Amino acid sequence: MAYVLQQLLSKSAKAYPEKIAVWARGRSVTYRELDERSNQMAHLLRKQGITKGDRVGLFFPKCVESVVSMLGVLKAGGVYVPLDPQAPADRVGYIIGNCGIRVLITNHEKREVLTPETLELLESCISTDQAENGKDGKLIPWSMLAEFPADHAPEVSLIETDLAYILYTSGSTGRPKGVMLSHQNALTFVEWCAEEFQVRSEDRLSNHAPLHFDLSVFDVYNTLEAGATVYLITEELALFPTSLANFIETQGITIWYSVPSALMLLLLHAHLTPEKLKSVRTILFAGEVFPMKYLRQLAEMAPAAELYNLYGPTETNVCTYYKVERERLASLEKLPIGIACANTDAFAVTDDGRRAAQGETGELCVRGPAVTYGYWADPEKTQKMCVPNRFEQNFEEKMYRTGDLVTMAEDGNFYFLGRRDSMIKSRGYRIELGEIESALLSHPGVREAAVLAVPDEIVGNRIRAVVAIHVPDSLKPIDLQQHCSTRVPKYMIPEVIELCVELPKTSTGKIDRVKLAAKDPAKEPVSVR
Amino acid sequence: MIESAAVKDQIREYVIEEFAKTKGINQVTDQEVLTKNGIIDSMGIFRLVAFLEETFNVRIGDEEITHDNLESIDAIEKLVISKAKK
Repeated sequence: MAYVLQQLLSKSAKAYPEKIAVWARGRSVTYRELDERSNQMAHLLRKQGITKGDRVGLFFPKCVESVVSMLGVLKAGGVYVPLDPQAPADRVGYIIGNCGIRVLITNHEKREVLTPETLELLESCISTDQAENGKDGKLIPWSMLAEFPADHAPEVSLIETDLAYILYTSGSTGRPKGVMLSHQNALTFVEWCAEEFQVRSEDRLSNHAPLHFDLSVFDVYNTLEAGATVYLITEELALFPTSLANFIETQGITIWYSVPSALMLLLLHAHLTPEKLKSVRTILFAGEVFPMKYLRQLAEMAPAAELYNLYGPTETNVCTYYKVERERLASLEKLPIGIACANTDAFAVTDDGRRAAQGETGELCVRGPAVTYGYWADPEKTQKMCVPNRFEQNFEEKMYRTGDLVTMAEDGNFYFLGRRDSMIKSRGYRIELGEIESALLSHPGVREAAVLAVPDEIVGNRIRAVVAIHVPDSLKPIDLQQHCSTRVPKYMIPEVIELCVELPKTSTGKIDRVKLAAKDPAKEPVSVR
Repeated sequence: MIESAAVKDQIREYVIEEFAKTKGINQVTDQEVLTKNGIIDSMGIFRLVAFLEETFNVRIGDEEITHDNLESIDAIEKLVISKAKK
């Protein structure tokens, strides 16, 4: 049995050496090639000083080399940190500094984006570009891999509780936080998926989510576990529903996993027919609420497919799931988040600290081997979210507080009710409104800022900001959007910014968010600026 | 009759004002791939198409909303001109 992720690859490389493991942008690698390239990458990383537990950043658009790099880092005993290739330089620089990345796998174009201060932190960069980068001596070309042994990985002694990767998500205090995940965390999820979805070597999985998003853990590692093939969907392809539908059809995708908004785009704009989705046997979605109206349409377009709603924050990966019961589709008003996955315990805790009874509202708490150790270099936040499980009297154990309010209905399923805090989801991305407020407040002309979520059927939420500025007419909304773009990813930039002299306050002097939300100029479509 | 240069200017202005600037990008060349750096996102594509249909009085079908047709200001202009001739 595998206890570290790279063993999934070794097993499949023996069983299916000539089978295609990863396909992206018209290029592919077989299992044998993936095994050999990642061995070479591990040796190269060792030569760059990477040893057990060292973090290595991945900063380039999705391609075959992404998977080679992930496995290469693991084989070197390291911990990989996928960075959003579209994130602003400031945010990438923060993460590199926060978790002490000294070696970065990137490409020429993305390396150019980094600030001189960030480059200073890096001892070396490995470029995914095939060609030599000539003049720039600090950039190690991909072709260098050929100089290292392909038939074995370096010696390394890892156990399942060692870290495998760190995924950064939005943080409420203005900076992203790094969720630490071990081999055991990932494998608990992968093994549950392998069993529940019966992934087989004939399967063709899609990978729609970015690699810094935990949905991709299923796509990549369940592919390797089964000896199947994963098709990486590039950012460009994901934007065009008709092209994406053709892609699903021509590549014969059998298992699809994405956020609901990606499926809704297909339903709304791709002229889907059951013919187009005929190869797809399983459709998984997670990351946000799937409106029933669109789920019913999807069920019609994929009449034979099994549909699953998966739920869980990055800190636990998927912890509950609901297998859509087609006979209930017509009558179900809200989609359940379901029941706990195997080897995972999920339960609701009421405000007064009791385990919630059926029908009562409580915060969903999760315990088990899939749960994170916490946040990189942030013991304070870790202690707040990963708390002692008070329900266990006989030994010490942690449980993770999701911050999600849920209730268990009579059908035995959990239903999501809302958040305890100001975290929202947009297009499946997790967004802390506080992080955007910090970005706005960092502008010298801004006095106060409140960021609000405007619910939207397709993308989940849109972002609206109300900002009080020091000097009237000194700033335009566009100036603040541009300022935000240097601090937060594009999906976090407010679509609408309203300026005012002072924000409304409650009697206790706090920003009156209820009043602000009521004043929403519209609930109108946000294309109006 | 639509004039090619005027069409391109209008498209360029819309792309820069509506998408690029809000993302902190002030200049976009006519050949630059708009989807690559997240200048236009998935919802943006449909706002762009609505703008083209309204401004140039053309009809763009969902099957024509492809990377090839919309990847750059140059490509969008070509699409609009070819539509307007019909």
